[in-house]
Amino acid sequence: MANLYRNQFLIFDKHPGLAYLDNAATTQRPKVVVEAIYDFYAYENANIHRGVYDLSNNATQKYEAVRSQVARFLGTENAASIAFTKGTTESVNIVANSFLSPTLNEGDNVVTTIMEHHANFIPWQKIAQEKKVEFRVIPIDKNGDLNLLALNNLIDRKTKLLSVNHISNTLGTINPIEEIIEIAHKKGVPVMLDAAQSAAYYELSQKKLQYDFLAFSAHKLFGPFGVGILYVADNYIENILPYNLGGGIIREVSVEETLFNNYPYNMDAGTPNIGGAMGLAAAIKFVSGLDKKEIQENINHLRIYCEEKLRAINDVNILGNPKKKSGIISFTIKAIHPHDIASFLNQDNIAVRAGMHCTQPLLNALATPATVRVSFSVYNTKEEVDRLVHSIKELINFWS
Amino acid sequence: MVLTKEEIQKRYKEKILPENKNPYHFEKREHATTITAYNPMCGDKYKLYLEEEGSQINALHFHGIGCAISKAATSILTRKIEGMSKTDAKKFCEQFMNALKSEGESSDLEEELKILAELKNFNGRLDCIQLSWKALFEYLTSAD
Repeated sequence: MANLYRNQFLIFDKHPGLAYLDNAATTQRPKVVVEAIYDFYAYENANIHRGVYDLSNNATQKYEAVRSQVARFLGTENAASIAFTKGTTESVNIVANSFLSPTLNEGDNVVTTIMEHHANFIPWQKIAQEKKVEFRVIPIDKNGDLNLLALNNLIDRKTKLLSVNHISNTLGTINPIEEIIEIAHKKGVPVMLDAAQSAAYYELSQKKLQYDFLAFSAHKLFGPFGVGILYVADNYIENILPYNLGGGIIREVSVEETLFNNYPYNMDAGTPNIGGAMGLAAAIKFVSGLDKKEIQENINHLRIYCEEKLRAINDVNILGNPKKKSGIISFTIKAIHPHDIASFLNQDNIAVRAGMHCTQPLLNALATPATVRVSFSVYNTKEEVDRLVHSIKELINFWS
Repeated sequence: MVLTKEEIQKRYKEKILPENKNPYHFEKREHATTITAYNPMCGDKYKLYLEEEGSQINALHFHGIGCAISKAATSILTRKIEGMSKTDAKKFCEQFMNALKSEGESSDLEEELKILAELKNFNGRLDCIQLSWKALFEYLTSAD
């Protein structure tokens, strides 16, 4: 089944023996995405919102059509809820600085979790410090699941926002988002969802999940680097202040003052990544054409197969055993540092990631300095898992 | 120059793994200047314990967690630096780090350091090799 997808990715023509197992860092790009970016720059290139000539008008229409497409992808009709950003990190920073920070007062608190990527941790920590409000961090249990009792206790009427990831980029834990959002909403607390790891294959319908803010990056769902999305629910749209200042977001500028557009048209200061948006459009079309249930099952089988093989090796320790898990596995091998493991796997043409995965608070909590992370996507195969396991066994022998 | 798997394995077997398994001066010291060598990208972190007396370095110990290359490179550093003057130690670190920057062979380095320096061609491992060397060099420079 996986080969059905593999031939749509040009990278494997160039590197036929590559076992690319670093999809949590970025996926590869299918031909349709690369072509969409190429076609825009080759045949349709013009700046948006600026010209009255056909090329510019067409570019503007296509760009705004992507906004509507993203809105539909998230199961909402309102295209004005969608802003283009540079990626998940910028989307989180926008919510932290252009929405949350101005509302914080003494006695308030901001809540996130210990399993967050730094992108969904540091922005909240920093504004909490600046505004002298409490920064609360929900712990995990020994399996790598969020402690929902603690979550319930840590959120109160003074909580101004809860920000949580859908899927942990290090442990692969799939968080019970509907339950978490229900707990927060009962206490009147808005929720931001970091969907960086889930956007490609998981249900993100706003109507179903009821999140208030959502962020994801195009490059983790087969799209280009440098483009991301911020979704803001209707209730909060009016409260989003401009982020970067400059042209393209203003109503009127005089020496005395500037009047800004409303969200989302106060987000595109400067020339946005228009070609990137075209790539995102093609990526969303690509993932919308996938049978998400089938892909989830395939990746789940691959992950379980890999975990079984890894567990059978002495000295291998897999981090976490959460109730629901995506196609991400973090592991360590006794006496061999993750960096050495990843370097030797690279010699066998297997691409994995080693390190802290931008989750230092999580690894500190797990008393683990670093891990090797394997993460699967549509084009991965059992044969690649077998190669991974073979190389690991060979490395352990070599090391001893 | 890209090293083949066999060439890398040879260097690991001959130099890196023995040094990694039995590192020199791998212990915490109480009465010493503490220097942190830390790579936040991968999590490698050593405390270097520098015993200095005036312009002399009496000994360097280290302790912490890191990959085989960073540990071996730190172990070699601690052995080489022992008894040097601070001025010489600074020059020594600088010379080694310059060799890591240069593209060709590091022919003027002694054999042990040459093996280490050649691993700069092992993708992405330059930071591992120079982690503690850089930290010590920066300390000695700032203490000037």
